[in-house]
Amino acid sequence: MYSLSSRLLISVSVLLLLFFGATVAVLNTAFTEAGEQARRDILDGHLIALLAAAEPDDDAELALPERLREPRFGQIGSGLYGELRNAEGTVIWRSKSALGLRIPEGLDPEIGNQLFAREALTDGTPLLTLSLAVDWEFDDGESKSYIFKVAESLDSFNAQIAGYRGKLFGWFAAVAATMLLAFSFLLRGLMKPLRKIESEIGEIEGGARVSLSDQFPAELIGVARNMNLLIDSERARSDRYRLTLDNLAHSLKTPLAAMRALLGDRNNEQFGERFDEQIDRMDEIVRYQLRKPANSVADKLVLQSVHVEKEVTRLIDGLKKVYHDKSPEFEVSVDSGMQFRGDTGDFLELAGNLLDNACKWCEKRVRISVVPSVGAQAIASGMVLSVSDDGPGIPEDAAAALLQRGMRLDEATPGHGIGLAVVKDIARSYGGQLSIQESKLGGAEITVSIPPLTSAKSD
Amino acid sequence: MRLLVIGDDATLRETLTQKLAEVGFAVEQAADGTEGLYLAQEYPIDLAIIDLGLPGMSGLDIIRQVRADGKTYPILILTARDRWEDKVDGLSAGADDYVVKPFHFEEVSARVNALLRRSGGWASSQLEAGPVLLDMTRQELKVSDQEIELTSFEYKIIEYLMVRAGQVISKAELTDRLYDQDFERDSNVIEVFIGRLRKKMDPDNSIKPIETLRGRGYRFALERKQSG
Repeated sequence: MYSLSSRLLISVSVLLLLFFGATVAVLNTAFTEAGEQARRDILDGHLIALLAAAEPDDDAELALPERLREPRFGQIGSGLYGELRNAEGTVIWRSKSALGLRIPEGLDPEIGNQLFAREALTDGTPLLTLSLAVDWEFDDGESKSYIFKVAESLDSFNAQIAGYRGKLFGWFAAVAATMLLAFSFLLRGLMKPLRKIESEIGEIEGGARVSLSDQFPAELIGVARNMNLLIDSERARSDRYRLTLDNLAHSLKTPLAAMRALLGDRNNEQFGERFDEQIDRMDEIVRYQLRKPANSVADKLVLQSVHVEKEVTRLIDGLKKVYHDKSPEFEVSVDSGMQFRGDTGDFLELAGNLLDNACKWCEKRVRISVVPSVGAQAIASGMVLSVSDDGPGIPEDAAAALLQRGMRLDEATPGHGIGLAVVKDIARSYGGQLSIQESKLGGAEITVSIPPLTSAKSD
Repeated sequence: MRLLVIGDDATLRETLTQKLAEVGFAVEQAADGTEGLYLAQEYPIDLAIIDLGLPGMSGLDIIRQVRADGKTYPILILTARDRWEDKVDGLSAGADDYVVKPFHFEEVSARVNALLRRSGGWASSQLEAGPVLLDMTRQELKVSDQEIELTSFEYKIIEYLMVRAGQVISKAELTDRLYDQDFERDSNVIEVFIGRLRKKMDPDNSIKPIETLRGRGYRFALERKQSG
């Protein structure tokens, strides 16, 4: 029902109907009027001929000759009739053609005037009549009034009009049908690329195709390209999920094996401790995998805007509760209204882990600053997020080790740096990086720089 | 101290309840959100431990509801979700701290103790007032650096009074918060224990740590020494 082609076809049909309907109506009216005017002129001619043929007879009355110039007056039932009446209404002459018929009297015009009228014979045959009232001055100076009347049957005229109308409708219907047919063929052609997209998507679903082809008209190229982007990012994402799941499953196998081995040695007095160690290891693995970034920067389509100040405030309110005993002093420097384009969960993970570490290590002071980083041609600004504390700081070689870690699970030491590894992974997924310096407060300053987002169309 | 544990996993909830009881808490438990909310609203409770993923009503909703009702006791969240997004949601709903699963019991116990003394206005787990020093982590009581041997019930009473140092605590409240439900409820018992505590802590009646307010209850009367 809501197909584009049926909508178009219906609207075009309605338009054609309106247009052709109006045309037919106008042509019909024009033709009928012209025809009637011609009839009147002819009737007028006949009347004048009658008038010319009339002669006074011996009894001082008007009379008409036996044979008139117009032969139709002499043929019975020819459809052209003539009549002459005197002032009293008595018929003085009636054409031979009207034999056996009664020509309706109708209205009489004023003397000197003529009057057209549509009348009908007793059998219903429509007539066009023309009457003329005249004062005839005879040679003796006497004058009498007469009424000349000619009438013509409209049967043939009506038949002619009906024939014309039939032809008109026939032709226009044929033209309209041809146009609609041509239009629907045209439409099929126009809709073809859409069907092609549909069938190509079907092929992608069926696995027979990897992406949409680029053989589309200009209007659809953009759609196809964005569709390909979406398909790619969806595919990359599902690959990533599969990889994550795979990593997770495999990395859990080692501690599981260790636990089973430990079970064989369960009377050992360190059993509980060593078993617990393996549980911790499994927990670290699961936590690390769960906290990995939600998206990669390739999924630009799914990024939202994160209200930085609001989220940082929420985090700090939470941390104030958790570190109530220590009550660190937070110094926040964030532009109100600053937005970060990305996933809210990722942002909270970045800022949360860094702030949590800072609270853990600080003496009293924790400082966070978030500044937008702007680039040319960027569609969204990046950010530089840095968190520092006044704690013992991180020695340079340890910092290097921390930055190295977390790329592979097996290398991650349980209990240490998981938060930082997660931060690094998330930063990388946004194309950013992590650095560790010495803070002006005396402790460590950890900075995450995320570059501005450039347009998806640049490729 | 009376705690409420709301969690749907029976093993986890019961083990936790049992271990908390072992270290001296009276513990109520609820297996689903609806029952949990009822207990959290109606029972005399000093602290609630709430698992976030619950049948019936989510943990977050319980916390919001309890806080909307004006209850101020500390709430500790147990959660399997340790993304910051989830932690922040819980804390802004009104919880005071969180423990991520799987946890060690010691961690929960430490956080519970910290929250309890924090709710009494103490900054450290060493509660010090005059010559009296109570170490909540080690459950030790010292008076003038001399360790005092206490039974677990005596410890419970002095801990409850000391955490709320300066507040008047009625006998009924002490009975409510310290006994388990099936325990014999006789107000004389409290008086007897208070008497014993006084004798142990203050044999020559010189420091007078516990004050009796006739008809109203007891008060830990020594001035707090705040560290930090």
